[in-house]
Formats: sequence, C-alpha cells, structure tokens
Amino acid sequence: MIASRLLLLIIFLYTTIQANAHPLKLSLCEIEYSSEKKLISVNLKLFLTDVNEAIVFDPYSKDLAFCQTNESKHANRLLLNYLNQFFYIKVNSKILELEIKNKNLKGEGDNTALWLYFEYIQTSPLQSLEIKNAVFTDLFFDQNNIVYIHIDEKSKSLMLDKKKSIHQLKF
Amino acid sequence: MFKLCLNYLGSFMILSLIFSCASDISKIDSEKELIEKALDIHNRVLTLDTHADTPLRMIQPGFDLSERHDPNETGSKLDYPRMVEGGLDAVFFAAFVAQDIRNDDGHNRAKNLCLQMIDSVITSTNRNSDMVGLALNPEDAYSLEKEGKRAIYIGIENGYPIGNDLSNISLYYKKGVRYITLVHSSNNDLADSSTDSNGPEHEGLSDFGNEVVKEMNRLGIMVDVSHGSDSLFYDTIALSKAPIIASHSNARKVTNHERNMTDEMLKLMAKNGGVVQLTMLSNYLREVPPNAEKDSAIAALRSSMKPVAKMTEEEQNEARESIKKLNDMFPVPLANVKNVVDHIDHIVNVAGIDHVGIGCDFDGGGGIEGVFDASEVMNITIELVRRGYSEDQIEKIWGGNLIRVFKEVQAIAEKIQTEEV
Repeated sequence: MIASRLLLLIIFLYTTIQANAHPLKLSLCEIEYSSEKKLISVNLKLFLTDVNEAIVFDPYSKDLAFCQTNESKHANRLLLNYLNQFFYIKVNSKILELEIKNKNLKGEGDNTALWLYFEYIQTSPLQSLEIKNAVFTDLFFDQNNIVYIHIDEKSKSLMLDKKKSIHQLKF
Repeated sequence: MFKLCLNYLGSFMILSLIFSCASDISKIDSEKELIEKALDIHNRVLTLDTHADTPLRMIQPGFDLSERHDPNETGSKLDYPRMVEGGLDAVFFAAFVAQDIRNDDGHNRAKNLCLQMIDSVITSTNRNSDMVGLALNPEDAYSLEKEGKRAIYIGIENGYPIGNDLSNISLYYKKGVRYITLVHSSNNDLADSSTDSNGPEHEGLSDFGNEVVKEMNRLGIMVDVSHGSDSLFYDTIALSKAPIIASHSNARKVTNHERNMTDEMLKLMAKNGGVVQLTMLSNYLREVPPNAEKDSAIAALRSSMKPVAKMTEEEQNEARESIKKLNDMFPVPLANVKNVVDHIDHIVNVAGIDHVGIGCDFDGGGGIEGVFDASEVMNITIELVRRGYSEDQIEKIWGGNLIRVFKEVQAIAEKIQTEEV
C-alpha cells in the first residue's frame, strides 16, 4: 500500500517536471526599405491568441475585437503599450515611433493573425538598422521572432528570441 | 554512448525502488534487458529523421550548431552534440521561408531567403566537417555513419520559393535539395494547403503544380505532401511517377487532425510505395486533455482583476506575470512516446511495415514527453522493442523505408532523363 502510494506520488512529480513545454510560438516581422521611394515599411504579423494573452490575459478574449466594427477604443493603445516594451526599430540610431498606419486580420481559429503595418519616410541614407523583437518572450520561453529585412533588392533573415532579442545591421 | 533518456531512467529508478520493496527483481532485470536490447538496436540501425526546421535557428545571430543547447532555455531542439547523444545518424534540414505576397517581388525575395538558408546549412556542414557531412544521395547516410559523422540532408518546406519559375527547382537540386514540401500552412501557386482558412483554391494541384511534380520526378527530388490538402495528396499520388513521401504527418484515424492522413491515404501510400514519416507534434498525436483545475484557477484570477483599460502599465505587467505563473503551474501535458508508437502501430496495420518512418519536426514545434529533443530519440526505439517490433522492422522504420523511396526516386529520375536523350 505504502509502496503504491509512493509510486503514484513519484510518477505525479515526475510527469509534472517533464511536461513543462508547449508548441512552437512564432511571429513574423518584415522590414522593407526603398531608397528610391525613400520609405521604410514594416509589417508585423502576430497570432491573435498571443496578442490577447499578452494584453488582456485571455487568448480567446473578444473584448478588444481587433479590426471588427465593435473594436474597443482602447485596443490600439493597449497593443502599442505592450509593443513599446518588447519591440523597436532604430534607424541611424533613432527609434521609429510606433504608429499603426493599417491593421487587419487574416486566417481563422487559432491561426488567426493580426497584421500591423507601419510606414516611415526616410530621406537620409540608411547607415544602420537595429531591431529588437522580444514580443511574447515574456509569456513563452520558446517564442521565435522571425525578421525579414529587405533593403532595396537585398534580403536577409534573422531569428530573434528571449536570449538574443536585439540585432544591429550596418550599411 | 547514448544518454539514457530521463524518462526511462526515471521510470527505471522508480520501478527499481518499488520492485525492490516487493522483492521482484526479475521484472527489473527484464526492463533493464529490454532497454539494453533497444539501445543496441538503435546503435546498429541507420536512424534518419526527415524533418527538422533547424535552419530557422541557424539564422539566429550567434547560434552555433556545434554547441549543445538547453531545450528549456529557448526551445532549441537539435544540434550536432545532441544528435550524437540521441544516436541520430541523419537528418533532413528543411529550409523554410514564411509565405508572403504571391507576386514576382514576393517570390524573388523568398528565393533569396531560401538560398541563404540553404547556404547556411552548407556552411555549417563545411565548418563542422569533423562531426557532420553534407549528404546528397541515399548511400551517403551509410558512408558518413561509417566515418562516425552525422549526415545532413537538405529539404525545402513550402514550394513558395519556387515562385512561378520551374528552373528554380533545378537550382535548388544543384544546391543539394532532395525533397520539397509542396505547400505549408497557406495555399500557394502550386497547390492547396490543408490549413488555409480561405479553403481550396486549386482543388489540389494547380497546372503549375503538376509541372513542378513532373520536374521533381525528372530531377530526382522527393515529392513531399505533408501540409497539403487531401485533394493535393490524391492529385500528387496519381501524377507522380516516383513514390512520394509525407515528411512529417501522422494517422488521422488515431488523432483527428487535418494534417494527418486518412486510412484511405495510407493504403494508397502503400500501393504507391511511398512512406509516411511520423512527427512529434503533440496536437497531431493526441487530443488535448481537459484541465478543469487550471481553467478554474485562471477564471478566478481573471475575475479578481480590474478592467485592463483601467490598469496602469505596472498593473498590466503584474497581471501578465500572474497568468504566466498559472500557465507554468498547469502546463498542457505533451504527447508521449506511447502516442507515437500508437500511430506507428496503426500505419503498420493499415499500410504495412514498409511505409512508415520518423520525421520529428524539431525546431518546428516537434518535441514530446520522452522525445523532447534530438538527444532523446532512442526512446522511440525502446517503445518499439517493448511492443515487439524486430530489429529488421525497426531498421525499416528508422530509415530503411525512406532510403528505399529515395533510391527509387533517383532511379526513376535517371530513367526519365535517359528517355529524354
């Protein structure tokens, strides 16, 4: 009897220690610079469940209703408050102020993604670009944030995570 | 040579403790013998994993595959030292580019990013030539194993970087690509995905997708139907002159998920001579178990919070931290090795022993209890031995079947090219 209880206890503790992870978590950021248009555009794709978990603490919350006719008047502010803590783009050592130019939802169910679009006039030549992307690393230890950078015709990909969330490129 | 997985070591220690109390030494001995037998088999057979998204890790600044990483730190599941620990002899690194706009600009960018990923794999294998080698042909896995090196093959996950240009397939082949997954989570110009929220666009393969499959047959690139819609599967298997693969998919009858394959598909795979490679993604292996205790704890916490819009930034951060603590306290249980071998049993029953393999999807969401990373893959072999699989059968599952398909794909390509002359 004692042995059986001991077995159950040890198995319970053991499985609790083992089952300490969850599936791959991803976000995607695309930064594009056109020297001809003198424009920097940024697309940030975030899974809606992650956004809701980060800012209203419930992955399936409908309170903020992003991109719906009943979207909360607080939605953008709360989202930007969160993003400003975990995400920035520095161009020539100056942080670009996050101001959403456009946003939309794509997909459905758990695959629904919130796409955010930012746009900046960049008249001076690009000398450096620094990206911090630690979104959702405060929630998920295994969050992977993919960054694609397109400078005119050249492209580069990066993956940032909790351990390495900032990277700088010089031109 | 192998790290005995914590899961089994833990179970074995528990069993040792309990059974010694009960003076039942014979069961301990038989468990120990079973594990030793399984590890011997694991050491002898070629162990080949057809799907790892590790190239995604390789674009991380400073990430070095020759160093051992902690899977609990950032989620990294595979590196060369852990391949050695797990006795994993060969792996297909999948170059994956997230799908963007489907026009010339998008396709060109995807092609550039895909080539960069492939180049980073080649660079890594060159830089670590004492541990690994770039593998291009089926035999390379065995010759590298004899040299004491791990074989690194290259695949592409998603045909999006092919764009609308068939000549890109030849370019990727010359770079070393030996399978291409036709689609990923969204429809592309080749075919329909199983998970595109807009539903089917081509009702399977597009006209261009047909040409892509033919070109892959001609060149000797394995056609991978994982992530594809059911119609894509039926179109591809009817069209392909060579056997096809599903590099990371499971059995739908065991776990009802659109990414898994129906019994009818499994039977067609057998007829086609192809192979379905089992993947270690929890949601494709078992239904998520309910957790009432967690649900009520989170509901109680949420009801005690004031509206988010009225919280200060500091209060929001505290609330987020509280929810995270609860999530950490009640994690969603992962699938386990028994679930994996349940799927293998089913595929063997429906399609036969010659049509099942392993494609873990490490660094792409794969990783379960007992096979959390590459250092623990021997636990699959242990469970196979426990269920009575012979060494010959395990050899087929762990790589023999895939290598057979790979050889047939190359032989058919050679025949097609000879007929062209």
